[in-house]
Amino acid sequence: MTNDFEAVVGLEIHVQLKSETKMFCDCPNRPGDEPNRNVCPTCLWLPGALPRMSGDVLEKAILAALSLDCEIQPLTAFDQKVYYYPDLPKGYQLSQFHRPLARNGRIEIVAGDGSIRDIGIAQVHMEEDVAKLIHEKEGRTPVSLVDFNRAGTPLVEIVSRPDLRGSFEAMEYIKALRSRIRYTGASDCSMEQGTMRVDANISIRPRGSGLFNTKVEVKNMNSVHNVGAAIDYEIGRQAGQIRAGEEIILHTRLWDPDRNVTTAMRGKFEGPCVPDPSVPPLIISRKMLDAVRELLPETPASKLDRFIGEYGLTRDEAALMSSERDMADYFENAAGQGILPRTACHWISTQLAPLLKEAGLGIEESPVSPERLARLLSLLENNEINARAAREALSLLFDSDESPEEIVESRGFRQVSDSGALDAIVDQVLSENAPAVEDYRAGKQKAFGFLMGQAMQASRGTGNPKMIKEILQKKLG
Amino acid sequence: MNTDYFAYLNESPFPSSGEGKLQGMRIALHPSIAAREWPSEAGSRALEGFIALEDATVVERLKSAGAHIRGNTFMNELGLGVDMDTSGSAVAEGEADLSVVVDIMGESRIIAARAGLAGFKPSFGIVSRLGVIGLVPSMESVGFTAGRPEDILEVLSVTAGDDGRDYSLSVDMPDFSDVASGKGENFRLGVISEASNLLDSRELDEFGKCVGRLKEAGCAINELSFGEFDLFATVHQVIGSVEASSCAGKFDGVRYGHRAGGAKDWNDMYLRSRGESFGTMLKTLLFQGAWFQFENYGAFEKACRVRSRLLEAMDKLYESVDFLVLPTCGMKHMEGKAENIAGLYDMCRLALPANVTGQPALNLPGRLLGVETGLSIQVMGRRLDDTRLLAWASSLVGRIFSGDKT
Repeated sequence: MTNDFEAVVGLEIHVQLKSETKMFCDCPNRPGDEPNRNVCPTCLWLPGALPRMSGDVLEKAILAALSLDCEIQPLTAFDQKVYYYPDLPKGYQLSQFHRPLARNGRIEIVAGDGSIRDIGIAQVHMEEDVAKLIHEKEGRTPVSLVDFNRAGTPLVEIVSRPDLRGSFEAMEYIKALRSRIRYTGASDCSMEQGTMRVDANISIRPRGSGLFNTKVEVKNMNSVHNVGAAIDYEIGRQAGQIRAGEEIILHTRLWDPDRNVTTAMRGKFEGPCVPDPSVPPLIISRKMLDAVRELLPETPASKLDRFIGEYGLTRDEAALMSSERDMADYFENAAGQGILPRTACHWISTQLAPLLKEAGLGIEESPVSPERLARLLSLLENNEINARAAREALSLLFDSDESPEEIVESRGFRQVSDSGALDAIVDQVLSENAPAVEDYRAGKQKAFGFLMGQAMQASRGTGNPKMIKEILQKKLG
Repeated sequence: MNTDYFAYLNESPFPSSGEGKLQGMRIALHPSIAAREWPSEAGSRALEGFIALEDATVVERLKSAGAHIRGNTFMNELGLGVDMDTSGSAVAEGEADLSVVVDIMGESRIIAARAGLAGFKPSFGIVSRLGVIGLVPSMESVGFTAGRPEDILEVLSVTAGDDGRDYSLSVDMPDFSDVASGKGENFRLGVISEASNLLDSRELDEFGKCVGRLKEAGCAINELSFGEFDLFATVHQVIGSVEASSCAGKFDGVRYGHRAGGAKDWNDMYLRSRGESFGTMLKTLLFQGAWFQFENYGAFEKACRVRSRLLEAMDKLYESVDFLVLPTCGMKHMEGKAENIAGLYDMCRLALPANVTGQPALNLPGRLLGVETGLSIQVMGRRLDDTRLLAWASSLVGRIFSGDKT
């Protein structure tokens, strides 16, 4: 697009809550199970069934809204979004329109030019997900199958204000929102897994104008990157249309990730929203709100500051340790066991993280618990093993239940700091490598490194390197 | 013949599963109230072949109190109208002691009036709606029809109360076992002029006799005015049709009920199934509701505001009286059928205010007051005042028939 236009983007983000049960019944919230396994009269909406709002879902929805600095409303109620489709077992979706759970949130992002921008969140509301339709063929007859496992699972929809000015800001906003909600444990927020779905409302206007022009809704982006690409494409498409003198019409488009284009799907349909008489309005008392607030974890930003102040990490190290809640928990747990926090940070990021990545595990699933790592690192700090042995021991700890001490003993990793034994090793190395000794004495510094390596090898890696170095220097004069 | 009254008969060799205060009471059940493993078709093709998976709370409580659920009666399509309904005649003809029905716009009382019985719609939110196949969730309630008010009082004390499964139940649930309250007291009764004005002169005369009988029995009668009385029907028609339209959205032929054959795709299947399942009266109501939803939402919002205004005004009336007395329906509604929506509302005009306000209302046929008339009166009370109302009516009927008129 050219510089004549700027984009006005608002995002509607659906986030699947990580509750045990569905929203209005006790069925497990596991949409991926064998089809129609997690169903009951309520989520199949059989005649006579009644919805019962889950307290756990409400709590998780409030947590998500609080993490976005929203104002939780004291009275919130459900509406029926009326439309007819086989994936909707009662002809309407229970959602919130007139009285949403929360309003007026905000997220700070760093814009492309490095400035800080505040992105407003108009509202956060709860709604139930619909069933899944599978279109197949039985012989030559097309059939539509319905899997109700997902019907009634809980979502929150987060509606931003039209404050985003392009693809970069939209992607930054999504990443920030995802990190904040993940941190509360309310949702996994994975676009790839479908636990976070982003719809973008996009319009363009002459740069600098305050207008809000007709918008186009784009759906079906399954990654943050695709949201950016779809917004860029759509801005270009709309600019072209305006230059050609065509009118922008309110409608919905689908992002096609293979061809990198958006295609028109349908006119935007807005069904009526009627107050629902079956789910009583929810009164969220000050007391309840305070109790949920207690569950709210420290934000990544304040954790970062605390890690610098409390543990003496550099800003980069603190950012690395605080961006994911599981990582932060692991780090704090390890650092709390009497080892130097920076050593813990260094070993987690450079040694443990690659091992976990290779094994395809999250840090919360690490076979080496923070306690075992801390015990290994305290052996290192006390000079009982050297760094090389610690690295080897760590990879052994990864695959066994043994304690760090047992591994160090059974594998002979204990560092040799006995000056008599090291003396004998150095003597032997010097006598076996006379040419290198001569080279060193003739001024070739590189030969010292070679002799050092030979001595370490002769100690089978367990010699205290610092002592070996001192003895070598003394003997070589 | 049983089959004149029952669409489905309980053939279990163990007709009641518990011993309790309702031991031996024979119950006829609307097929819109779920009884486990029984067909629950609510008089509708949209529920064809639907078998209830579990007992409605009210059925479960009746069973465990020792009552014998005899079978399902016949009913009009999803409760629209009473001409096909056999729950009144089943009691009147001695086939059952009490009928359990769904009262959407006055059915429990109108059915009772037509059969010369006592009929009662409890306050909204005291009897669980779990297992009730209704149409207008914010206005309907399980209702009871029986020979005497004390049978209803007994059944209410067993069936009312929180079951933890209907979140619309009242949070301040009174004690329904306190059946002694209200007995023998002489209450102040209000008669609403605007309601009486809906009667013709002969009906007015009969109504006057019934009210006179209450006065003789020691009650004070106050004439009250309620200028907006006619708005109850309007409000019910707007809000009721909107709720019905949403409520009937679940009847899609996907999971149960009649499914049209030969459809070319799911959308066609959906349209045809609903088209074939619903009768003209229901379709009219659903179209009307959908019209308010999609085309005239403003009218719906206005009706909601009027509803709260009516509720407030109704509460005000109770400042000067304990109960309100009004006719249940006109003499012409004592038989025949409502041909269309307008006819239905004409029949229910006097009964549906209790549905709009959620208040308890009891039908008493003139016969139970010792008055020779085909007309029935209706006694309404404040919300949650059910026990006092029923206990008073029971003792009143008892006194009239024991000859003690004071």
